[in-house]
Amino acid sequence: MQYPEPIAKLIDSFMRLPGIGHKTAIRLAYFVVDMNKDDVAKFSSALKETKDKLMYCSICGNLTDEDPCVICRDKTRDQSTVLVVEQPRDIMVMEKMKDYHGLYHVLNGVLSPIEGKGPEDLNIKSLIKRLQSDEAIKEIIIATNATPEGEATAMYLSRLVKPAGIKVTRLAHGLSVGSDIEYADEMTLSRAVSGRTEM
Amino acid sequence: MKLRELKLRNFRNYSDVEVQFSPSINVLLGNNAQGKTNMLEAIYVLALTRSHRTNNNRDLINWENENAQVYGEVEKELGTTKLEIDLGKKGKRAKVNQLEQAKLSSYVGELNVILFAPEDLSIVKGAPTVRRRFMDMEFGQMSSRYLYNNSQYRKILKQRNNYLKQLQLKEASDKLYLDVLSDQLAAYGAKLIFQRLELLKKLQGWAANIHAEISQGKEELKFKYVCALKKKQQTNENDIYTGLKELFEENKDKEIRQGNTLYGPHRDDLQFIINGKDVSTFGSQGQQRTSALSVKLAEIDLMKEETNEYPILLLDDVLSELDDNRQTHLLKSIQDKVQTFLTTTSLSGIARDLISDPKVFNISSGQVVEE
Ligand SMILES: Nc1ncnc2c1ncn2[C@@H]1O[C@H](COP(=O)(O)OP(=O)(O)OP(=O)(O)O)[C@@H](O)[C@H]1O
Ligand SMILES: [Mg+2]
Ligand SMILES: [Zn+2]
Repeated sequence: MQYPEPIAKLIDSFMRLPGIGHKTAIRLAYFVVDMNKDDVAKFSSALKETKDKLMYCSICGNLTDEDPCVICRDKTRDQSTVLVVEQPRDIMVMEKMKDYHGLYHVLNGVLSPIEGKGPEDLNIKSLIKRLQSDEAIKEIIIATNATPEGEATAMYLSRLVKPAGIKVTRLAHGLSVGSDIEYADEMTLSRAVSGRTEM
Repeated sequence: MKLRELKLRNFRNYSDVEVQFSPSINVLLGNNAQGKTNMLEAIYVLALTRSHRTNNNRDLINWENENAQVYGEVEKELGTTKLEIDLGKKGKRAKVNQLEQAKLSSYVGELNVILFAPEDLSIVKGAPTVRRRFMDMEFGQMSSRYLYNNSQYRKILKQRNNYLKQLQLKEASDKLYLDVLSDQLAAYGAKLIFQRLELLKKLQGWAANIHAEISQGKEELKFKYVCALKKKQQTNENDIYTGLKELFEENKDKEIRQGNTLYGPHRDDLQFIINGKDVSTFGSQGQQRTSALSVKLAEIDLMKEETNEYPILLLDDVLSELDDNRQTHLLKSIQDKVQTFLTTTSLSGIARDLISDPKVFNISSGQVVEE
């Protein structure tokens, strides 16, 4: 026997999510069948709103429901530094830390020819324009990941931006707080040593 | 280090076996196609997470099953380590004392092996890829730094080759990004080349002695690292880095035309030289064999020097390929220090009096019976 069409469609939809295979999708679909109507309505409108109401901030590229985003509109933030991240979700992580009060720029990925991502596929042009038009910006902090692609992207950006007289720094990578030197692997240690700071 | 226990589940033609090994010499005895090499391969996989004869995990899993497991207990100076490799459709998992290791560099090195198979006799005369693979496998086991640098290098190389193709086809045009990739590749390439030079120097020290002994002092064995850099550009990591950057800069157009990275450690080679002459062109078959044997035996000593433990030695059908003099040297240099696993179809071709108290396992269609 085949699944009734609505269930088949639901299974198919769940399977589009990462990490969900056929079996899990079936389980979730039947769970939805048993959910109460209100919850299902909330669920489906939440799904729809992510597409209808969310957009990318025209200044920094962050995900937002208002353009410009709250961070770009907040004039109390330090207007002289821009922290460059790979993904919108990296901003959430930085904000949770509460120690950074400057602005952001979201690249939307890293340079990776294998995945078809060249300089023109990232929000690099908009960053350059921003730096040229906004006199207040004095420093950019590059916070791409410590992968080869993240490093190459950082290097590329710094070469692009430095001639304009803007200070470029890279987020330090090294020991995680509370971790014991004894247990850090050799590579983390060697990064921590090369990225040491003066006291 | 010694591999005391090995358990295989659905690995090649073994469905479920458990073997206790001798800390000295283990002989895997059996007819052709019974599973002798498969067992050595399992030990190799346990050490390096990959096979020496296939790049496809599926080949290692029993045809009638979807998952395979290799489990081993390794005895070291500081105690016993439990290693486990799980192979499945979705890839592999490596565990040390039950804890899964995310990074290759934190697993490899727990068990060090040296494999000597008939095809290794062609290390001198075979294609350059054989010798590059040799350096990468052996040095990767001795140094997690080498392994890490190598895997970073390979990733950047893939990206750079892909980008060069895009430039060749005019799908991309940004030369600044190419320069960044070149710098990055040169940085990791320099680390690799420098480490290779250092380790080769040490390896040569050991190999030259062994070779001199086997040839009764008549021959002097040397290595030469063959690469596009000039000798004076090879003195330290920084000079190598500068040299590689220059090569990339000078050959930019050529590399774009070919859509490929033409310089770097992935193109380098190793030359064996006896009494000043290149062995691959001028050496006799016997000299080539002796060189190959000297290098393999030197690895044992180098590994001990670098890691403080003797590796274990896997000899696949190789003993019968060596004459008495070479067999004697081999067995003498492993005696009482190196745990050895050797496969053979019969004990007759082997100087048995040299093997003190071997543990013999009869292997037949994936079944193991201790003699
Ligand atoms: N994935 C697999 N599943 C089941 N059997 C396999 C698998 N891969 C290989 N085999 C079987 O294993 C056997 C080969 O074993 P192996 O290479 O260990 O032989 P051997 O004992 O070393 O023989 P020789 O003396 O010829 O080298 C073959 O019979 C082959 O059919
Ligand atoms: Mg075999
Ligand atoms: Zn914004």
